[in-house]
Amino acid sequence: MEYQRYNCGNCGACVAVCPQQILKLNENQVTKDPGCDECGNCTIVCPLGAFTWKVGHEV
Amino acid sequence: MKYDVVVVGGRIGGSIASLYASKDDADVLMIEKRQEIGTPVQCAEGTTQSIFKILDMKPDKRYINAEIDGATIHAPDGRAIDLAEVSCENFLDGTGYKGYILDRKVFDKHLAIQAAKAGAEIMMKTTVKDLIRKDGRVCGVVAEHLGETMEIKADVVIAADGVESNMARQAGLTNPNKPGNIGSCAQYELFGLDIDPHQLNFYFGREIAPGGYLWMFPKGEDTVNVGLGVRSTKKTAYQYLNQFISRFKGTTPVELNIGGVPLSGPIDKTYTDGLLVVGDAAGHVDPVTGGGIHIAAFCGKTAGQVAAEAVKKENTSESVLKRYDEIWREKFGKNLEISLKYRNAADKLTDKDMNALAEFLEKNKIENLSKISAIKFLGKHPHLLMLIRDLL
Repeated sequence: MEYQRYNCGNCGACVAVCPQQILKLNENQVTKDPGCDECGNCTIVCPLGAFTWKVGHEV
Repeated sequence: MKYDVVVVGGRIGGSIASLYASKDDADVLMIEKRQEIGTPVQCAEGTTQSIFKILDMKPDKRYINAEIDGATIHAPDGRAIDLAEVSCENFLDGTGYKGYILDRKVFDKHLAIQAAKAGAEIMMKTTVKDLIRKDGRVCGVVAEHLGETMEIKADVVIAADGVESNMARQAGLTNPNKPGNIGSCAQYELFGLDIDPHQLNFYFGREIAPGGYLWMFPKGEDTVNVGLGVRSTKKTAYQYLNQFISRFKGTTPVELNIGGVPLSGPIDKTYTDGLLVVGDAAGHVDPVTGGGIHIAAFCGKTAGQVAAEAVKKENTSESVLKRYDEIWREKFGKNLEISLKYRNAADKLTDKDMNALAEFLEKNKIENLSKISAIKFLGKHPHLLMLIRDLL
């Protein structure tokens, strides 16, 4: 998934649903470790749409 | 560094746990990752009167923006039902229609200050990265402050780290949530909206807030919290919010809040050797309303007390900490379980069902509500009858 820092409100909703547990909420940003399995959970729960599918992905 | 109790998270559950553990003579450190207690707000700020009973505190105008004495529900077709006119004794935690809209920024900081007065130390801008474990038991945390990593030992760690629930996951008490169990929320504090300053308003409907609802909570004379929670939608909560408020000409936001609310009910086990889990991290949220301030307050208080007692007994293993789980489940367990059932049933309601229910309530004010009218109504709406059967 693509993460857009400027769309992120640092709420942690994405962290709660990441099955790979690669997202971490720090003081003022979400960091993403390698290992994303492109499940799309983060795109569903993010209130501001900070996560998007990679270009070319068909939903 | 070594403390009796380390509390991870400095919002309601964390501050209250710190306060009550300190009151019972434990040596407490509370760790908050943000720069300021209480910000950013991730809450609609409505709560019941019961929280002040739980905390042995008197409500104070400094952190109460509005007193609430009623609520109106708006069905998808626009029909408005004043809840004062229908039976709703259990509304707002059994306190009828009475409740408060808090100023969470002030309230949370007030609670942290109370904890500090009782002796708790607080570290700001500090992120907990890991639990320290030895021989299978939790015995502290690894924290990072301004690039410096430190180990902080503790007899009990209280995880009040919010919806992310990292500590509970690391301890093996929970797994990542399903996206359908997270309410994706966005809220404006909106200036210029003229509504009754003592009434809550709730709006339902697939066009407004699919899988959730929209709320309007008055914050005093000038502003209103207008927010919504949605689930499993293609559009974002923020887009739904903007769509809704476009109807209010001449208003403007002064704050935007966002957040995720766990609506899956409590996790199966909220304790292990050296660890207790409190608040959103433990799923201490009503799955129907998404409200949890009073639950987090009770659980935070209980966690603080049980942790301090375990420290005194020099036994912080699960056999002692289990008491925490027993106490909060006795108070809220059944209600949360029923609420989850209701949520699952409500998930199946169509806009048409909701309109029919609203029409029924409107026609049958409490004094007229009879079994015969209810049976007639359900006869006309077999889909609703099925849902009710699922609940029984």
